[in-house]
Amino acid sequence: MTAVTDAPAPVAGTPATGAARQVWRRLRTRPAALVSAAVLLLLIVLAAAAPLLAALTGQDPYAYHDELVDSARGGVPHGAFGGASADHWLGVEPGTGRDLFVRLLYGARISLLVAVGATALQILIGLVVGLAAGLGNRWVDGLLGRVTDVLVALPMLVLAVALTAVVPRDFPRPLLLILVIGLLGWAGTSRIVRAQTLVLKNLDHVSAARLAGSGRRRTARRELLPALAAPVLTYAAILVPTNIVVEASLSFLGVGVTPPTPSWGQMLSTAQTWFRADPAYVLLPAGSLFVTVLASTVLGDAVRTALDPREASRLRVGTAKETAR
Amino acid sequence: MRPSSALSRRLAVAATGLVLTTGVAACAGPQGAGDEAGSGTGADAAPRKGGTLTVLNSEAQSDFDPARLYTSGGGNVPSLVFRTLTTRNREAGAAGTEVVPDLATDTGRPNKDATEWTYTLKDGLKFEDGTPITSADVKYGIERSFAAELSGGAPYLRDWLIGGDTYQGPYKDPKGLASIVTPDPKTIVFKLRKPEGEFPFVATQTQFAPVPKAKDAGAAYEEHPVSSGPYKVVENENDGERLVLERNEHWDPKTDDERKAYPDRIDVRSGLDEAVVNQRLATSAGADSAAVTTDTNLGPAELAQIGSDKELAARVGTGRFGFTNYIAFNPKVKPFDNPKVRQAISHAVNRTSVVNAAGGSALAEAATTFLPEKEAFGHQPYDHFPAGKTGDPEKAKQLLKEAGFPDGLKVTLLHSTAQNRATSPEIATAVQEALAKAGITVELDGQEPNSFNEKRWSVKDAPGFFLSRWGADWPAGSAFLAPIFDGRQIVANGSNYNHAQLDDPAVNREIDEINKLTDLKAAAPRWGALDRKIGEQALDVPLFHPVYKRLVGKDVKNVVISDWTGVLDISQVAVR
Repeated sequence: MTAVTDAPAPVAGTPATGAARQVWRRLRTRPAALVSAAVLLLLIVLAAAAPLLAALTGQDPYAYHDELVDSARGGVPHGAFGGASADHWLGVEPGTGRDLFVRLLYGARISLLVAVGATALQILIGLVVGLAAGLGNRWVDGLLGRVTDVLVALPMLVLAVALTAVVPRDFPRPLLLILVIGLLGWAGTSRIVRAQTLVLKNLDHVSAARLAGSGRRRTARRELLPALAAPVLTYAAILVPTNIVVEASLSFLGVGVTPPTPSWGQMLSTAQTWFRADPAYVLLPAGSLFVTVLASTVLGDAVRTALDPREASRLRVGTAKETAR
Repeated sequence: MRPSSALSRRLAVAATGLVLTTGVAACAGPQGAGDEAGSGTGADAAPRKGGTLTVLNSEAQSDFDPARLYTSGGGNVPSLVFRTLTTRNREAGAAGTEVVPDLATDTGRPNKDATEWTYTLKDGLKFEDGTPITSADVKYGIERSFAAELSGGAPYLRDWLIGGDTYQGPYKDPKGLASIVTPDPKTIVFKLRKPEGEFPFVATQTQFAPVPKAKDAGAAYEEHPVSSGPYKVVENENDGERLVLERNEHWDPKTDDERKAYPDRIDVRSGLDEAVVNQRLATSAGADSAAVTTDTNLGPAELAQIGSDKELAARVGTGRFGFTNYIAFNPKVKPFDNPKVRQAISHAVNRTSVVNAAGGSALAEAATTFLPEKEAFGHQPYDHFPAGKTGDPEKAKQLLKEAGFPDGLKVTLLHSTAQNRATSPEIATAVQEALAKAGITVELDGQEPNSFNEKRWSVKDAPGFFLSRWGADWPAGSAFLAPIFDGRQIVANGSNYNHAQLDDPAVNREIDEINKLTDLKAAAPRWGALDRKIGEQALDVPLFHPVYKRLVGKDVKNVVISDWTGVLDISQVAVR
């Protein structure tokens, strides 16, 4: 996530209220964006309805089915496609026989919750720090700038592993993941906000507000925040998939959610050795992760270009520009 | 007297993870006990001398010094270079659990109460430089292992030899250890502070290899240890990451009944990923066709993949090392002080789920006894609290009710986060799921391996309920039962393996009585009976004994897997 720290945000200034309709009008003409939005929506609905769907299939994400795996062959599921059947729509987990469909759904809950929660926290901290740096004096700006630099330079995953390893066991894991990812990953947002603030604060309407006697906080709230909404929302759309991957990495490294709670990262971690013996087991969490990250990236990019007509004409696909820098 | 904490810790590391830490381990061959036929292209041809044997390993052969190696029976690669007073019988199956003479003419002559052991060296023994091996060299080799800078070996000698607890090694104390006597260049006598009928097993460890005092370079000796075995070290890079062995011309096969030494050259390459080791052995391309591994087992997914491939399946060797994975109770912690609670958990465990989590029936065998199911350990079958194949939650509920928990119970299970399929989350969740059916809610406490071990080995901080495991330093009852159930081996300020903190005078007395026996065949059934008796107290729930499966390259012949190590014996392997 630190790779996207210098993302040039689209030039702000469009009043946020008018932007919504304008964005929708532009998005409507982009099928990729619409499909992505539909996929994400479906995923959120499925995740939210996980207990209902589990009841529908009659499966429990934690129940073992010893008879569905071939004990003599390392515990690989009986039958083709990872043991898929009328009862177990996407097959069962090797070694335990737990139903993969409901585990995938319950896993989506953790993955999405952590990703969205962490993104919200990152944006919040990034806004506050960025505004303070942009509006503050030389010393404040310098100090916050260095703090941001240090955070960018720190290997986030290593730090996150260390932090999650020392926290007491009874602290709720999803909340811990949100806090760790959120508190370590706000540097990119704060840099963008600071850069935008520096541009914005010299614009006429901001100067006018200052001359009319409004204080720094009021100026920030009334004049700057609405203008910052567009670039920040865009950046958030890029942060969500990044955070899904970070959660997956942490769970993959064994410091994410505690078993038997499923998460996509935890599923990937146990599935990694099975990629040849039982490909279905690996493809399910990997495919879900891929689709989710792709959909939110495409959607985020579409929102970004929709917000910025000039950029829209030059840059149509992907986040290649950000990562290249 | 107790082993110091550092040493005891080593003991458990080695005992529990023996195959990885010591290089005892080896490889595989055609399946089946007693089957030592070659496989691959020249299956029918008798093994011949010559060629280079490659060893593909994940762990480096670090600290290649006989004083520092912690081995069971002298190790695998180490035993090619270091001969010891006695060694393990290099035969497949149960015959391989016997201890046989190596440098000595017999396995040791005890006095009446097994406190004094006398050995005589064979004639014609020479070091790699041609100088004869004397009993003084053996004595010096043992004394070195007491030096602090050469620590790492098993703690037994420090505990058993008179004065062993205070001796500082020959560098600080050149007078030597008075309890090892060498009346002449051929004879060596050990004086112990208590009876130890299993002393010949300890004499197989590399500390009993001769070291010429003139060639001793202290901690640097490991770079070029002087060989007494069929091979000598010609190259040692990166602390054992690459080890090249070539023939020792002064080794006389007439003095050595155990090592076959077919290949001319042994090339040990380590630092490889375990998946890479197995993949290279399966592919068997180029030099890998004459390759084995001494530390990498096949995992469940690899086994599932091999399943349908007959050619590959024929190259998988199967073995059983004396090892038990179990749930440990600490009755000092409530509610595990109540025997009914412990019994309820014993009844509720679903060993089918646990075995599947451990890699399936090919890699694990359900266990109801603490002793491994081998004659050498004196194994006696028992199942005091039957759980059937998949657990008996009804019986468990009834016991809980009697114990005063009619509405179930909430407990915490400590396990490690290591991906070892032994104390790992998979096993813990299988236990959790089975106990849930009996109304016992299990919370999992997964800790990274170091803090997991610190907790479970601590008398003060050990929780009431945790996963543990124990491996034998040699295939006999005392190595298995004494550290776990002898009340005098509770280590208050160090690594304690008596998890139940059992200090039962009757048990202690019986352990002492059996240790006096020098007839191991007579001792074995008594260990089995003791295990059965202790089992009635439900101080642990035996879960499973692991099974080792390993691949060999397609040109590898004469694969011998004993019940002592459970893995291929590298001294028997031929590549032509």
